[in-house]
Formats: sequence, C-alpha cells, structure tokens
Amino acid sequence: MNSMSDERTLLNTFHEIASHPRRQMDQYLSRGLKIVGCQAPYAPEEIVHAMGMVPMGLWGADMALSEAKRYFPTFICSIMQSMVELGIRGAYDGMSCILMPSLCDAMQATVENWKYAVPSIPIVYADYPQNRFGKAGHDYLRATHERQIARLTELTGATCTDEALRQSIEIYKEHAETMKAFSELAGKCGMKPSDRSAVFKSAWFMLKQEHTALVRELMAVMKPCGEKKIGVMTTGILADQPGLLQIMDKLNMTVLCDDVAHESRQSFFCYPKAETPLDTLADKFCTMKHCSLIYDPQKTRISLILEEARAHGAKGIIFIQTKFCDPEEFDYVFLKRACENAGIPLIMIEVDRQMTNYDQAGTALQTFCEMIQ
Amino acid sequence: MAEEQVVKKKRVVDPNSAAYKLGQITARNYTEAWEAKERGEKIGWCSSNFPQEIHRTLGIKVVYPENQAVAIAVRGGGTRGCDEAEAEGYSNDICAYARISAAYAKNPHAPEQDMPLPDFLLCCNNICNCMIKWYENVALDLNIPLIMIDIPFNHFYKATPEQIAYVGQQFRDAIAQLEAITGKKWDEERFREVCACTNATSKAMLRVADYLQYEPSPLAGFDLFNHMGVLITALGAPDSAAAFNQLADEYEALIKAGRSTFRGEREDYRIMFEGIACWPHLKFTSKSLIAKNINVAATIYAVAATHVYNTFDEMIASYYTIPGAMNLELSRDRRVQLCKANHVQGMLVHTNRSCKNWSGIMPEMSRQIGEICHIPVVAFDGDQADPRNFSEAQYETRVQGLMEIMQENKAGEQHV
Ligand code: SF4
Ligand code: SF4
Repeated sequence: MNSMSDERTLLNTFHEIASHPRRQMDQYLSRGLKIVGCQAPYAPEEIVHAMGMVPMGLWGADMALSEAKRYFPTFICSIMQSMVELGIRGAYDGMSCILMPSLCDAMQATVENWKYAVPSIPIVYADYPQNRFGKAGHDYLRATHERQIARLTELTGATCTDEALRQSIEIYKEHAETMKAFSELAGKCGMKPSDRSAVFKSAWFMLKQEHTALVRELMAVMKPCGEKKIGVMTTGILADQPGLLQIMDKLNMTVLCDDVAHESRQSFFCYPKAETPLDTLADKFCTMKHCSLIYDPQKTRISLILEEARAHGAKGIIFIQTKFCDPEEFDYVFLKRACENAGIPLIMIEVDRQMTNYDQAGTALQTFCEMIQ
Repeated sequence: MAEEQVVKKKRVVDPNSAAYKLGQITARNYTEAWEAKERGEKIGWCSSNFPQEIHRTLGIKVVYPENQAVAIAVRGGGTRGCDEAEAEGYSNDICAYARISAAYAKNPHAPEQDMPLPDFLLCCNNICNCMIKWYENVALDLNIPLIMIDIPFNHFYKATPEQIAYVGQQFRDAIAQLEAITGKKWDEERFREVCACTNATSKAMLRVADYLQYEPSPLAGFDLFNHMGVLITALGAPDSAAAFNQLADEYEALIKAGRSTFRGEREDYRIMFEGIACWPHLKFTSKSLIAKNINVAATIYAVAATHVYNTFDEMIASYYTIPGAMNLELSRDRRVQLCKANHVQGMLVHTNRSCKNWSGIMPEMSRQIGEICHIPVVAFDGDQADPRNFSEAQYETRVQGLMEIMQENKAGEQHV
C-alpha cells in the first residue's frame, strides 16, 4: 500500500465511523461498555469517560421529522428536533442516560420535552453557569458536576475517582491538541472539506484515546493534495451536511481553520491547574470564551474569527447558519460588520437538517468563490 | 382631522379609577428616567425579571426595553422596528422584542414610545437565554457596561441550595458593580422597605387575579395584560399595592352590582389564554373572543411577575419561578391549579414565533393540562411583536373550533 492509499483507506475509516454512529455504539456495547449520550455542544464528557463509560455526541441527523413535531413548533432548530426524533424512533436504545445542557432556549425546551418524548433514556442535567468569571460561577459548576456524578452513579452503578478523572482530562487534552494539529495540517495539505469533516465528526462516536490514535495515524501519512485550492474559514454550529460539503469539494475549497461548534470550537479551551480535577473541569468551562452560547460581553469570538482567518490566509469566511439558531444569528450581525470593516469576504449559508436541495447554496458559494479567488 | 376623530372616540378614564392610577404608574417610569438622565444621573435598560430590588434600593432609574417593545408593537410600530433590525443583519427568526430594541439602540426614535438611551444594562436570563444575546449586542453597540445575573433554567421543581447560592452571590456582585457605576450606595433599611413594597404589590395583584375565579367574572381577563407594565416597572414602588388593592375593591363592587368589565353579552365560556399577548393584534384577538362570549378567565402571565417572600433566599428562589425558568412540571401544575380554581372550559395557546423557550414546551405542557383538566386545547400561530406572523383567518378558525368543542362539552354536561 502506498501512502496515498493509506491516507484514503484511513479517511474511509473516518467516513465509515462518522456515518454509522449506531454501529459504533453497538460495538462498544458488545465490549461491555456503557454508553452515555452527550447532547451538543458541551457536556462534561471527561466525567463519563472517567467513570469507564463511552460518551457519545448527539447532534441530531439529516432526516425528515414526524414524531418530534408532536413536541416542537416549527421554529425550533433542527438539531434539537432531529435528536428527539431519533430518540423517539429508538436510535439511541441501549444508552444508559443522556447528559443535556441548556445553553440556549431550544435546548431548555428539548430537555423538558425529552422526559416525555423519550422516557426510556433518563436525563442527567448538564447545566452551566453563564456568569462564570468569579467564584460563584466556579462553585456552582463544581456543585453541578458533583450532582452529575452522583446521578450517573445512581443510573449506571459506575463511580468516579480523582485519579481516573485526572487521567481522562489528560486524554481529552491530548485529543484537543491533536485536533488542533490536524486542522493545521489538513489546511496545509488542501484536504477536501468532506474528508476533514468526517475526521472531526467521528470524534463524537469514539473513545477519545482511540480517536486520537487514529487521527495521529492519518496525520503521519497525509500529503499535500497537489492542487491549487481556495482556502476558507468556516464558522457556525454544525457544518457536516453532505450536500454542502460536496459543493465545497467541487468548488475546490479547503478549510484552513474553523470556529464551528461541532469541530474546532471544542478545542478552544484549556484545563487550568487546580486543587482537584473536578475544579480543573469547572475552570475549563469558566475560562472558556469565543462561543455564541456562552455569555461574552466583549464578543471575543468575533475578533478570534478575524484573527484566525488572517493568520491562516483564508480568502473568505463561510458562516454556516443553522436555521432558527438565534445565538448564532445575533453574532452574525457583528461578524458581518467586522468583516466589512476588515475587508474580509463573508458569506452566510443557511442550513437545516431537513434540507435536501442545496442548489441555492451551491450558486451562492460558486459566486463567492469567483469573487475571492 | 383623523387624529381628532381618534381622540374623540377615546374612552375617558376616570382619574380616580384604579386603571388610571396604574396607567400613570407605568408612564411615570419613563418620565422619571428622562428626568434622571437630564439631571446627569446614570440610567439603565433592564430585563423584565432582573431582581428589581437591586436598582430600586439603590435609587437608580431604569427603563424596560420589553415594555417599550410592547408599546411600539401595540401602537403599530412593530414592523418598522423589525425591518430596521433586519437591515442591520438581524434574522427575522430572532425574538421581535430584541429586534425592535436593537433597532432602537442604533436609531433611538420611536413615535410610539421613546425612552432615554442607557448608560449601563441590567440583564437577567431567567425569562430566556435570548436575553443574553440581545443585551450583549446592545452593550457592544452602545459601548456600555453590562451587568448580568444568570438564573439558569431550573429543571428541578424547586431551586436547589447551590442554585440559590449562585444567584445570591451574583445579586451581591451586581450591587457592587452598580455602586461603582453610579456612585449610589446600598442601604439595608431601604432594601427592607423595597422588599415590603414588592410583597405588598404582589399580594395585591394576586388578589386582583383571584377575582377571575368568580362566575361570571367581574373582569375581562384580557384587562390584566394592561397591568403587566406596573408589575415590571413598579413592583417595589410604594404606591403600586394601593392601586392594585383599589382595583380589587372595584371588582368587588362590580360583583355586588352584578356587573363586569367583560364586554360580551354574557360570559358563555371561560378559557385560559396561554402565552404572551399578541400585541400587534390585541384588539382583533380580544374582540374575536368577546364576539363569541368567551372570557379569558385565566392567564399565568398576569401573576407570573409577582414575588412573595420572607427571606433573602426565598426572594432569590422567587426569581427562579417565572415562566422562562420553570420546568415543565411546575409550569404545568401552576396552570392546572389556575384552570381548576377559575373553572376554565378550554385553553387557547399562542404559539409565539418570537419565543422559543416558552413555545418550545407548549405542545407537551398544554396537552398534559388538557388531559388533567379535561378541557380542549387549541393553538394559534402568532408573535408578540412582529405583526407579520399572525393570520386573522387562522385565529378565527381556531377560536371557532375551540368554542364548538366547549359548546359540545357544555351540552354533554347538561345532558348528564
Ligand atoms: S445553539 Fe443553536 S443549533 Fe444549538 S441547540 Fe441552540 S438553537 Fe439549536
Ligand atoms: S418574548 Fe420570549 S424570547 Fe423574547 S424576550 Fe420575551 S421571553 Fe425572551
């Protein structure tokens, strides 16, 4: 096997995993491991991991909705709606429980509806403080984590020790660093957006140490694609729509860097040193910025996007707006202004998980490419 | 000419009536803020459910963008505000209050209701998380400080000790921040007075709302929407309780006289109206009900902004029990209690496109309420401030449908 086919083979593995979460889940269950669903975008996965269970990310799926319509009005985002739809249809059967954050209004409603829509999978509340800069926020989050551990123990029998949590944090730290390095390399090599997406997406369905190992294997054989690509930055909540990625592939784009919540935004944090690993975990969130879902009066995310786009030489920014996601819609106003002032081309593409026709998005992106090339 | 005609038609409100006094209290809030601004004092914009004990104790004047958005929407300026915001890049999926307010922050002119621009913002997300984003944007646009009290949605039935501790500390931090911004000083004695007034107003308002239990009711439930302004802007003011108590006395007198403020021929049906009023279409939505002799005999909205407490921790807990912060079960149980106490025969739900958290649990919650109370539940699509998201025809059909089921149920009862 030459290195190119190695790279392709590995990428195919990532695609396989990214598109078959249920297979992943069954494989872990058959290894005797328990599964805990982790609703997008943030949940204390490290705790689940430290308790010897498999955290699996839940971001809904591209599908038509039927059952979820009983619970939601149309104007709730399709990530939450399709997640509930999958839950009702039994796609998550076998999960011990689900960690659910409530960082936006759609999430709050989803948690409440879940109790009745999917009663077979119990909830562990994954609340986060928004006012997290002082001691009050830290103490609240620490107490919340303690409550989560107690509830997870009650539901699964698993326990959490400081030592295990310390080790899990190390594994997560390593994973985040690996993904940062991968993102850089993927940009340098001109990787196709669909391939890059599969690498990021698969992380949600694997134990992080296994994903880190596989990504490192891939990075060892990655080579520049040899074609001239149009380098862009992507931002938004989710950018895994096959229809959109195919268009980006065809237009010869490559993603140099991203601020997508489902992708690199997961690595925009550090694990500050603290007395106990639980304090470290609380501080991880409390020191986090750059996210539309977390209170940030300076909107540091906007300057971060501009800095990243410039540092990576991105020709333009694609704002992938999940329909009805108001946290992102609010930020868009400022990003638009900032990009206009900085002379950085920006395009907004609206997507949702019921979208089947990407013609309009294709035309808009083609025009955008012609403009920035 | 046209204006003169409108003025002529306007009902003259008796200046000794409770309704007049309550109207004055809401209007006074704007006047006081303008005056403070002119005196060179720092004034704020404030979320509807930010703990008002803080700024009232400090003697700081604030105005309420939600209240202003209502005034703009009721008086026909909703589309203009939304359009202005959309031209700035705001999506029309964003809450219309936020759109109208963001537009006003950029271009502070609204013939329907002007108010002074703020020197700082007081934000509390117990009503929704949209509030955080809205205030972030306004703070950045105006380059002013934002004071935030985070009251996370409470998935538990009762606020937990750690939730109380978290908010209690933020309460104290907010005081310190405001003292630094305005130079005003906290006074414990004054705080106790404000708390006493808050309790008194809340109890008086609950007394008013209790008159909806009478059959027929001495009041049209829609009237209560008019008094929301007082609850938001003057809950802790010294004269609010007296005005509400007078209103309750007036209802008592109406009962004795066998009269009601409900303008239907009779009160044939009593419903719960669920959700924020559809302000741009308030007249149409209420007239349609009146024409069918349907009175709104219950609404959580009117009592949702009351706070009754004895201790500091109870005060903090009370800020966890407002509609945007309560879990489905507590929200449901409070409404069930109201529906039962007020002998409601049906429920009309406003699926409010602006309000994702409230509308997001509505289908399941209203289904449960319908089952528990054995009443029909019907929903209509609308918006509390963007007039474009409402159809008169759909509303009519849905209300008609609700009435028919209530009619059948009534006939069934008589048959039995
Ligand atoms: S953040 Fe946006 S996409 Fe995510 S759940 Fe909330 S509304 Fe949906
Ligand atoms: S209408 Fe709903 S979304 Fe808008 S400010 Fe009020 S609670 Fe928030």
